[in-house]
Amino acid sequence: MIKSTMLCEQCKKRTATVFYNEKLNGRSRSLSLCGECASKLRESGEIRDVTSMIGSFADPFSALQDERFGDFFGLRILRAKEEKILCPCCGRALAAILNDGKVGCAECYSAFSGELSPLLRSLHGGATHRGRIPSRLLARRARIEQLSRLREELQKAITEEKFEEAARLRDEIRVLEEQKEGNGNGLV
Amino acid sequence: MAWYNDRGKASESVLCTKVQLRRNLGAYPFPVSLEAASANEILQKLSPPLEALGFRKINFSDISAIMATSYVEKHYASPAFASVGGPHVLLLQEKPDIAVTLCGEDHLRICCILPGLDPKEAFAHASEIERVLDGENELAFDPDLGYLTQSPADLGTGLSVSVMLFLPALAESLCIGSLASHLGKLGLSLRGGFGEGVSTSCGLFELSNRVTLGKDENEILSLVEEVTLQILEREEEARRAIRKEPLDRLTDRIRRSEAILKSALLLSSEEFLRLFADVRLGIALGIVRGITYEQLSTLLVEGMPATLTLSADTTPRSEHARDALRAKRVQALLHEA
Repeated sequence: MIKSTMLCEQCKKRTATVFYNEKLNGRSRSLSLCGECASKLRESGEIRDVTSMIGSFADPFSALQDERFGDFFGLRILRAKEEKILCPCCGRALAAILNDGKVGCAECYSAFSGELSPLLRSLHGGATHRGRIPSRLLARRARIEQLSRLREELQKAITEEKFEEAARLRDEIRVLEEQKEGNGNGLV
Repeated sequence: MAWYNDRGKASESVLCTKVQLRRNLGAYPFPVSLEAASANEILQKLSPPLEALGFRKINFSDISAIMATSYVEKHYASPAFASVGGPHVLLLQEKPDIAVTLCGEDHLRICCILPGLDPKEAFAHASEIERVLDGENELAFDPDLGYLTQSPADLGTGLSVSVMLFLPALAESLCIGSLASHLGKLGLSLRGGFGEGVSTSCGLFELSNRVTLGKDENEILSLVEEVTLQILEREEEARRAIRKEPLDRLTDRIRRSEAILKSALLLSSEEFLRLFADVRLGIALGIVRGITYEQLSTLLVEGMPATLTLSADTTPRSEHARDALRAKRVQALLHEA
């Protein structure tokens, strides 16, 4: 497994995956950030959200690479660095993903969430998933809903001093919780 | 009997409906970063349950290029799948036609093809197969992005719905361009030609969804079906307009095409496609009798270069020999009826 070593300047914890080079009023400033901190700074207005402006009118795959657009807005994503930004899980370079539109693994989507977001916005308009989910999650979702319902009933039984029912509910909750642990690791 | 030997709903204008579910296993890198050993592991996980259901397994690394192309011509595999370097497998079942491709553009693609217009039925068949594999394997999924796919364009439902349309009257009225741009706004795309790799459109178009994220499965299926019905109405209108004009010129062209199809000694694929379009329209207008839509669909697929070559007892060595073989096949099938 290959790891990118540069750390985010802001949180100093996560791997830096976004590189800004800004020229404003003759002063230049460079920042190496992780996707999360980059979007925070973007929201607070600390850095300008140029990538999304590019993404909205240019071809999504070339948008992030076209330095002319970047320079036009006084901000540049350094392509050379993209070559060195690798997914910590599968090792695929961000540059390769932006180049052929093929994501390396499921983890790439979270590792490069900041960089891929303009692309996803231009492809899907910022929508989130609706529809079918995998059966394991479906079962888990049903269990979570059942658990919260049982807990509410338990609380009600206790306040109403129906202790026999409370004991029965507690046993039921315990069985469900054990099932959850026994079911191994899911994705969500 | 394969999809191209049969007919379905709205067959006068719809050749087939193709519904595909794109899925990946969470525990492995996507095919682009996948090593051969991991690819083999995936194949060993996903193939046996399908073989137990009666699917035929075709190991694409072991078959000839011409055989691979023939599966592409039958729409069971995509050109990109056929050109994958590592281990990749096609699992095939007929009636209903379900083609499952493993370790191609995604770990798992389940495709159901039905003759005519029937997106919901095709989706139900594909979903049945997904259910078999979903329970045992952890599919890559994110609550916001949906099913995670190698191409970000497929995120969400990972569902692709496409219908193969025959719109000769609309194509001739030249309003296809404006129709296509209008469909773009609805999140649909309309492309000319019979699948990828065939350049002449000859009235054949493929309508498919582009949006996969933010709409659920039913909305996508209904959208494609409803828009198809609207397009068919416009095609019908255009055909009515044709009928109002003096028919002798068109009738003459269609009858000539029918005659060439039935008696030519050499037929190139381009010429065949042109004749195919004329005769198919001729059936709809009541000018051609004794030839069915399903016969033409069969010829469309079985007359493709690779499939045609494979079907011969002795391999045709030149284009000339292949054109002769095509003409022979066409006539044998049309005279059967």
